[in-house]
Amino acid sequence: MTETAVETTGPRDDDGPAPGAGRRSRRDLALLFMPGAVLVLLLLALSTRNPDLLSPDSLLAIADSAAPLMVLAIGVTVVILCGGIDLSIAALAALSSVLFALWIPLFGAAAAVPVIAVAALAGAVQGLVHVKAKVNSFIVTLGGLALWSGIALVISGARTVPVTDVDAIRWAFTTVAGLPSAVLIALGAVVVLGAVLRLTPAGRWVRAVGHAEQAARLAGIPVGAVKVAAFTTSGACAGLAGVLLVARTFSGAPSLGATLLLPAVAAVVVGGTAITGGFGGIGRTVIGALIVIVLRVGLSLIGVDAGFESIIYGVLIIGAVAVTIDRTKLDVLK
Amino acid sequence: MSNHVRPAAATSPVLAVRGLTKRYPGVLALDGMDLEVRPREVVGLIGENGAGKSTLLKSLVGLAQPDSGSIVVRGEEVRLRGVAHAASVGIGMVFQEQSLVPNITVAENILLGAEGSGVRGGLFRWRRMAELAQVQLDKIGSTVSARARTDSLTFAQRQMVEVAKVLALEERTAHEPVVLLDEPTSVLEREEVETLFAQVRRLRERASVVFVSHRLDEVLEISDRVYVLRNGRVVAEVDPAEVDATDLHHLLIGRESTGSHYHDDAQQQPAADVRLSVRDLQTAGCTQASFEIRAGEVLGVAGVQGSGREELCRALFGAVPGARGEVLLDGKPLRLDSPRAAVLAGVGYVPSERRTEGVVSSMSVTENMSMAHVGTVCRGPVIDGRRERALVDTWVRRLGIRTPSGDTAIGTLSGGNQQKVVLARWMVSEQLRLLILDHPTRGLDVGAKSEVYELIRELAGSGCAVLLLSDTLEEALAMSHRVLVMKDGRITACLDAPRGGKPDPVAIMEAMV
Repeated sequence: MTETAVETTGPRDDDGPAPGAGRRSRRDLALLFMPGAVLVLLLLALSTRNPDLLSPDSLLAIADSAAPLMVLAIGVTVVILCGGIDLSIAALAALSSVLFALWIPLFGAAAAVPVIAVAALAGAVQGLVHVKAKVNSFIVTLGGLALWSGIALVISGARTVPVTDVDAIRWAFTTVAGLPSAVLIALGAVVVLGAVLRLTPAGRWVRAVGHAEQAARLAGIPVGAVKVAAFTTSGACAGLAGVLLVARTFSGAPSLGATLLLPAVAAVVVGGTAITGGFGGIGRTVIGALIVIVLRVGLSLIGVDAGFESIIYGVLIIGAVAVTIDRTKLDVLK
Repeated sequence: MSNHVRPAAATSPVLAVRGLTKRYPGVLALDGMDLEVRPREVVGLIGENGAGKSTLLKSLVGLAQPDSGSIVVRGEEVRLRGVAHAASVGIGMVFQEQSLVPNITVAENILLGAEGSGVRGGLFRWRRMAELAQVQLDKIGSTVSARARTDSLTFAQRQMVEVAKVLALEERTAHEPVVLLDEPTSVLEREEVETLFAQVRRLRERASVVFVSHRLDEVLEISDRVYVLRNGRVVAEVDPAEVDATDLHHLLIGRESTGSHYHDDAQQQPAADVRLSVRDLQTAGCTQASFEIRAGEVLGVAGVQGSGREELCRALFGAVPGARGEVLLDGKPLRLDSPRAAVLAGVGYVPSERRTEGVVSSMSVTENMSMAHVGTVCRGPVIDGRRERALVDTWVRRLGIRTPSGDTAIGTLSGGNQQKVVLARWMVSEQLRLLILDHPTRGLDVGAKSEVYELIRELAGSGCAVLLLSDTLEEALAMSHRVLVMKDGRITACLDAPRGGKPDPVAIMEAMV
């Protein structure tokens, strides 16, 4: 299998896998089916406790409550695919919820557009700082987390901002053809992002940058632009998630995002996207987000205290990363 | 003169290497290497890039694990597990890129990991540390203060500190150590080299030294015995008193193969029009480079490590921040600020580090091949899968790339097939005007090399300009129409190398070192 055997005998006929290739494909195989299998097993296990769980109504309710988390998680998936991380998403979603609640009296339902634009801009700024000033995405977005939460607190006066004009947000919590509109909006975002990642050069570039940034750069891929675009996408998704959250709670709250970061990152890694970048995708995150939500529903179903939720997210994230991480990329672990 | 036989040594070797073999994916770095180091002698090692020098040194300090063969230290076979283990049997290395921690004192560095009585109860005893370190510095007569911060020293001074650090092994092993010096003179000024040589001569009174250098005159001056390495083997053992640099040049270059290997007959006359004109290119490691390449011309660049030729190539591709100069591609200014700009202008680059810079190894053959010019297979904003497959199939057939399918991860192919995909990445573009090849045949077997040479000929024949950095001088001469010679960041010569009139490699070698 080694290439050396033919060192002096000319071109080789059998192209055996390079070292590590075998292990890698086994890992890939496990990653391909595991998240889906986990989701199905989880649902079946919980249905023994409460058979109604598998009824269409109940499944739609789960999907409905998963919508904001799903939108948040697919955004950060793009950044993680590039090899970075965005810790600011939940804070940005909270800020967006406050902005949306504040702007509804001014713009009505159309307030969603400027809110998402502002969130996208915030993401773009983080991306630019990361690329131009060469600051770790971890640090830039950790700073962003504090910054956006702070702004949300200041402009809301540290209070929940209620939405009195319910008609302005009805579009986000009604049903269309029997499906909750939030689920349709989330699916729309999933389809658009999934198509971009799968079908366009930009999607290729995202994965190439995540797998091997230097090789991507030397192939002429605009690495900086790809990363800025990824952070912009993540910001826009956080904005949309903020809007969907307002439609669920009829208010914008600076504290709304505090409990969303961990589940969102958990959704990405549990879905099987590698935290080291390159490997994974939007479809995986959809399954990951459903696992996280079903877990949450299930825990309350079997009467586990809500405090345990956080413990489970912590274990899930570490466990999922331990399974999915691409160790061939790790030279020095920090 | 080759395989010069010495009279049986009076003493047994301190260190012996027997049949050492080390394979890396795609390359046989050590191919049954045999050599020995005797007490109190300076052994010189010379060889071209890829001859196996650095792999040998890494094996001797446990940073590479040989696949077969043995390392025998004072009669006992050892399996070295790492630098600390090597140190415990008395082998220490002074690294080319230096391995001192910059922000601590000289004394801390010398005693790092072996503080002994310099630490009591988990705390440093600074005076004791300084005394212990001074003992080592005195051995080589260094005037550096043990209490100085390491980053306040010059490169040459730090190198002396590294030597002192290696000498501290004596205290721990109760034997005379073996000191490996990897390219110690490559960044030193002439006077500093003299100082280093004085130290090496002192060192010989208490240790054995292995001296690796590209500079043949230095190896001849300082060594008691010289091994010439080629393709992972020792091809000659010579007595410096009996040879001169020219003899060594001949041994180094060797004769690998005949003209058909390089497809000599396919070397065509380049066109008259200038494709690339470079004036006063300035970048870290390369100054005032000015030259031209014509359409259809292969321009070779010869030079040793540190000559600046890698920097020159990468700067032209926009991969080195801060490169300046007047560069015209077909008369239009070429931006040097990003590879993206170079690619859009019609420049391609095949990097020397294939696995980390050339291919995205987890992605497919198809994705790797269409990576640089994916726009050509798009319909609207979307990649047209059928057109992409058709393009890739064409090039897979045309270049004879052996891959199970286009969807195979490129990392699972052999080095030669990976390299052909990287070449195809640039050849798919009809706008390709200049291709920069940075060690394009590194790590390839003979057959794959020959196929790459054929592709280079074909490319040049179609009017593309080629800038070629070769692993070996022989390759550069055979493939190029002209050869630039670089030394210490400057272009020192430019020689014509027409078909049937190739210049003498020894002359070029002399201009390089």
